[in-house]
Amino acid sequence: MSAEAAAAHDHHHHHAPRQEDYPVDPHYGQATGGKLGMWVFLLSDALTFAGFLLGYAILRGGTKPWIPEGLPELGINFTAILTFLLICSSVTMVLAFQAASEQNRKETLKYLGLTIFGGALFLCGQYKEYFGFDLLGGFVANFHADWGAWLAEGLTDEGLFFGTLGGSEYSAYGSTFYMITAFHGMHVFTGVSYLIVIFIRTYMGKYDDGNTNHIEICGLFWHFVDLVWILVFTFVYLIPE
Amino acid sequence: MAHDHRKLYWQIFVMLFVLTVLEVGVVYIPGIGKGLLIAALVLLALVKAALVGLFYMHLSSETTELKLTVAIPMMIPMFYALVLIVEASWRLLRNVV
Repeated sequence: MSAEAAAAHDHHHHHAPRQEDYPVDPHYGQATGGKLGMWVFLLSDALTFAGFLLGYAILRGGTKPWIPEGLPELGINFTAILTFLLICSSVTMVLAFQAASEQNRKETLKYLGLTIFGGALFLCGQYKEYFGFDLLGGFVANFHADWGAWLAEGLTDEGLFFGTLGGSEYSAYGSTFYMITAFHGMHVFTGVSYLIVIFIRTYMGKYDDGNTNHIEICGLFWHFVDLVWILVFTFVYLIPE
Repeated sequence: MAHDHRKLYWQIFVMLFVLTVLEVGVVYIPGIGKGLLIAALVLLALVKAALVGLFYMHLSSETTELKLTVAIPMMIPMFYALVLIVEASWRLLRNVV
């Protein structure tokens, strides 16, 4: 083995291969195994969501009235803010990827941190939408009665439940709503956990060599969660009865 | 390797923001027909989803094969949705006539 080949050999054993180190595949170019694996997983996940949304459409098409009397309508304005939050956390995710490809650890951490913050805020928003923040609402009510009442109120307080929980009447409207949005919320939780792992690994300097593969794959998952929310927002919230 | 895509990423962000404002806006247009509203909302959502997939998930810079690997399976639920819409329309028409 020549000295050069030995050095190359050594190089390949001590660093995770970068995207540009991969041989060009006739079909998939330089996409790494990890990236293709994430895409295949996301396809299966997308079809799961598609199944939920199609089942939702069939139920909604055959149920008159869709929203039973006495049950609350879903708030569009508040959810539009949640949508905006996810869009913000998508742009910070690609900016983290950009910074990582420039081997700028500090900037990568800043944008990964902002992405995690956006995801965590989304989860808080969803908790508020479901249950309301009773303690926080009670506290704020000391200073501003209307805001406090708004903060403390969630859809469950207004009688919207999954199945017959809380002794409520069953409605396809309530059950499909919680089924779909909670399944998406679990994806946001998974994404935030995944991002925290990537944040810690970035902090440890694992990606200082400019190998952006792991960050890009994590980004694929995170953007997918945003993409699904765009569709959920339209079909579950925006399309009126 | 490290091309600067910041400008593109921010442009996509602005488009996603404007499209979201439009989505919420069309719902509040007084007297808008339901069919038109649903068509507009679905179109806006599909454009937003495509922007995220193509530019934030970098599908636009992948090979044609990877693009098709993603696009073709996604056609299946869309086709199923189309079948459902046609079937529902047929039932609706049958009741009217």
